[in-house]
Amino acid sequence: MLPIALSELIQIFRNRSVLITSFVMPVVVSAFFIYQHEVFATLGSLGYIAAVVLFTVCAFGLYASSVTTLASRRQNLFLKRLRSTAASDAGILTGLVLPVTVIALVQVAVIMTVFGVVPGMPGTIGLLVVAVLATVAMMLGLGLATAGFTNSPEHAQVTTLPVSLGVIAVASWVGIAGTEELTWLKRLLPGGSATELVVDAWNGGVSAGRSLLLLAPTLGWVVIAVVLASRFFRWEPRR
Amino acid sequence: MSSTPVIDVERLNLSYGDFHAVKDLSFQVERGELYALLGTNGAGKTSTLEIIEGHRSATSGAVRVFGQSPRDRRAVRPRMGIMLQESGFSPDLTVKESVRLIGKLTQRADTVERVLGVVDLTRKAGTKVSQLSGGEKRRLDFATAVYGKPELVFLDEPTTGLDIQSRDDLWAAVDNLREDGSTIVLTTHYLEEAQQRADRIGLMHRGTFHREGTVSELTRTLPAVIRFGLPPSAPALPLHGKREHDGKFLIETFSLQKDLFTLLGWAHDNAVELGQLESGPTRLDDVFRAIGTE
Repeated sequence: MLPIALSELIQIFRNRSVLITSFVMPVVVSAFFIYQHEVFATLGSLGYIAAVVLFTVCAFGLYASSVTTLASRRQNLFLKRLRSTAASDAGILTGLVLPVTVIALVQVAVIMTVFGVVPGMPGTIGLLVVAVLATVAMMLGLGLATAGFTNSPEHAQVTTLPVSLGVIAVASWVGIAGTEELTWLKRLLPGGSATELVVDAWNGGVSAGRSLLLLAPTLGWVVIAVVLASRFFRWEPRR
Repeated sequence: MSSTPVIDVERLNLSYGDFHAVKDLSFQVERGELYALLGTNGAGKTSTLEIIEGHRSATSGAVRVFGQSPRDRRAVRPRMGIMLQESGFSPDLTVKESVRLIGKLTQRADTVERVLGVVDLTRKAGTKVSQLSGGEKRRLDFATAVYGKPELVFLDEPTTGLDIQSRDDLWAAVDNLREDGSTIVLTTHYLEEAQQRADRIGLMHRGTFHREGTVSELTRTLPAVIRFGLPPSAPALPLHGKREHDGKFLIETFSLQKDLFTLLGWAHDNAVELGQLESGPTRLDDVFRAIGTE
């Protein structure tokens, strides 16, 4: 797993377009939200900004990058070559997505820390960490599933749009409008309960027990994504 | 020497819906031999190889590699090197990085410098894979397949795209592997390579073997030919022959030396000139063409 992860890290830093669109842009967008936090806080809350920042990084830095990476490696038969070795399927997939996952986690940690310094620290840091990890797991799972029907890196620009834009839209909807109305619809949509968890964690004032119940829909999406990935994921291009 | 075959295929079947890609195929590959798996287009060679390599599962039948299921990657792959038909390297990695990565994943001990030396890519070590020529990529393929001198090596069209010198170098490296006791499974469209190097050959057509054996056993199944032109005034031939569409005579024989001696003696005695005389033993090409018409 680690040799594969290292080779992926090398390739990330050699591919300028991947670096800019998947890693630099989310940070720039997040920086804009933080810079304008007073404006966005009047729309929702500081917790809403934290949620949107999280999903921006996870959607474009993690989800879209993992789909593009897996589709590219499949298209040039690199996946097939890796499977010709003694490495297990789980080891191969983990190695391929580990760098983008670690980079996303570092980005989120840095951005959240900066955000915490600017307007104020989150109410419950432990709960925030749980929310971030659950969101990352969900987006990774959705990335594996999406890669199953993505034929090429170019095709990934299209196939990743629904989930990328969808989770950010849901995060905005939940972050701005709250969950007093259409509660279960908002919580069951991908990103909905994770957003509520982040908002609760940042804004504070909500019991940890209640908040942890919101983990269930997010983890449910992880399970759904893994089932879809095992159904659709291909190791070789269609002949 | 162990009598257990390295590869044991028994009544292998592979179907895609109603299409039977491999039908009831059985064969063994013994330790240390070079076995060539040949066949017509669409015969099922690639599917068979992929099952033996552990890339896909059979519909029915049994396949054992080193006595284990080839799907048990952890048990089998450290002992096996695979040269894929198509290059599958990441274009942004260098030659050295690619070999180092695949080498680590094989779990065999070796050095990048040694295998790059085997394929004459040492001076390209720092070059990105995207900048390599087709022949250089094939050499890189071979390097990763022989990393750590595996006990079993699959070579799928190994010399496609290689110049003559590179081909010679590749076969020299294969010979070194065989001297170390490695078993080789070869697929190739260059029949002369199989004819020169294979200990045994399996000829597939429409999903099953039509012929299997040594080159001598395979070519023995078809007669050798003697072909020549005759002047119109020539007397009757001493051997049974037939005139072809281009006017030449064709004699088919399982006793090439004896019949050629008889024909040449007759031509000398009757002062007959045999125009454009050509003869030779049956080649693998002839056997191949014969199964294609069956």
